[in-house]
Amino acid sequence: MSFFLDSFAAAGRLVWALDPELFTIVRVSLSVSCLATVIAAAGGIPLGFFVAYGRVPGRRAIITLLNTLLALPTVVIGLFVYMFISRRGILGPLDLLYTQQAMVIGQVILIVPLIAALTVAAVSRVDERYRRTAQTLGAGPWQTALVVLREGRFGIAAAVISAFGRVISEIGISMMLGGNIKGFTRTMTTAMALEYDKGAFTLAVALGLVLMAISLGMNVVFNLVQGRAGR
Amino acid sequence: MSLYQLEHLTRAYGRRIVLAIDHLEIEAGRMYALLGPNGAGKTTLLNLLAFLDEPTTGSLRFCGKPVGSDRVERLALRRQVVLVDQHPIMFSTSVAANIEFGLKIRKIDRTARQRAVQAALETVGLERYRAARAHELSGGETQRLALARALALAPTVLLCDEPTASVDTENQAKIAALLRRINTEQGTTIVFTSHDRLQAASLAERTVVLESGRLTATTYENHYACTLDETLVPPRLVLHGQAAIPLTALPAGLQPGQTGRVAIDPTRIRLRTGAPTEATECPGRVVLLMAEGAQIRVTVDIGVLVVVLLDRERYRAQRPAVGDTVSLGFAADALSLAQPSA
Repeated sequence: MSFFLDSFAAAGRLVWALDPELFTIVRVSLSVSCLATVIAAAGGIPLGFFVAYGRVPGRRAIITLLNTLLALPTVVIGLFVYMFISRRGILGPLDLLYTQQAMVIGQVILIVPLIAALTVAAVSRVDERYRRTAQTLGAGPWQTALVVLREGRFGIAAAVISAFGRVISEIGISMMLGGNIKGFTRTMTTAMALEYDKGAFTLAVALGLVLMAISLGMNVVFNLVQGRAGR
Repeated sequence: MSLYQLEHLTRAYGRRIVLAIDHLEIEAGRMYALLGPNGAGKTTLLNLLAFLDEPTTGSLRFCGKPVGSDRVERLALRRQVVLVDQHPIMFSTSVAANIEFGLKIRKIDRTARQRAVQAALETVGLERYRAARAHELSGGETQRLALARALALAPTVLLCDEPTASVDTENQAKIAALLRRINTEQGTTIVFTSHDRLQAASLAERTVVLESGRLTATTYENHYACTLDETLVPPRLVLHGQAAIPLTALPAGLQPGQTGRVAIDPTRIRLRTGAPTEATECPGRVVLLMAEGAQIRVTVDIGVLVVVLLDRERYRAQRPAVGDTVSLGFAADALSLAQPSA
């Protein structure tokens, strides 16, 4: 028990002292995950919206495919992307392996299906009467689509937050494509795994605390925004 | 002037024809009630009139011009007609923003928008809710807000799908008064669906009755599900299981126990003040009197509401008043079994 408490106390001191190594790791994690989330949202939201709202042929097949991709393990994505960007891969000349860009690519592939699938669910839940109401009030096709998008905004925001949570806590892609290089591609999860291997729990626990705080913070902000808009 | 002209119009979903209208004209500036049982095609017809849907076959003309499939043309037409749903849905914004929506789309400038929003809110008596969230309003208020949202756009035609079906009595009266005001003061053509025959009789100048997707009458609303009871003398036609009218002759095509639909011509019903003195008369109570051109519309409650149209001479001879007991006689030629489509 004392070991557990000692680790937490030491971790707390590390966070309190704004430890440079800790904050470099957090900064790398946040920058990679935020960029991946933004790129994936830019692709996944329109894709999901189009599938849910438009009269797309093969809609059911696309939704099944998206749902299947949700279960794709991070190591499988890491492996496939590795085959493309390694020296012998077709993207080898771009020299992306063990860079933050490689991690972003892998993470985008991981969460585009997640954002798209959750956007499909969010937009499908929007009452059909919104579309009819917008049309009868004189809205054109784009204006009608925007109304439906606006009414599904909280579901879509929840999709983006879930996706961010997925990438900031994943380890397979970061390890295989980033290489866990100190100060460059070392993220919270890869650092925690390394510290665990070394038997040094203090930094690992400190990073775990930061990770949970980030997750909590994002959900609190989302709930506040949702509550204010829903009042 | 005819605003809408429907000729040999059908709407089918797959092989199922849900609406088949040979001829229907809707005149500008009038108020129409669209009656019929559930599944009769009322909402389908409203969607067609609102240009939200297209007929499968036949022609639909608006202001004398045929309505085509061109998207731009249909959008322009949609901006002249507003449909208010039975359960209207509000955008998740403020009351004022909901009303502003259609005005913004029409690129009305901000000052004019604010004026129109205020005027619409005052018309429906919701001005104190201007800044409130639209989703916080009650059912009746939501229905009035939906009307305000439509009125702000000053439409040529206002279509209402059962506007008073899901609101309390107080709001029903407010909405009915509002529809009458919009029709008389602004000259807006109004078509509303209803199951309430009394409301239809009191509000609308014309009544359109749909039965299994077909137009069965455009001048009256005496349409009932019926069964024949031959065990009594004289035999009786039981309307909606609630009123039995004595028959002078058996209608052709209806077997005892079998359920059919009957239409009763309101101009051929005999009306006499006082309790029945003959076995072929049926007692009732007058619930509504309305002048309708050269005729007087008398709505009589005999267990179901029956509309009787009297010319002024016949009316003067009897002078029925609201609340009076009257006797109705149904001649054989007043009854016709409806022949809905299969």
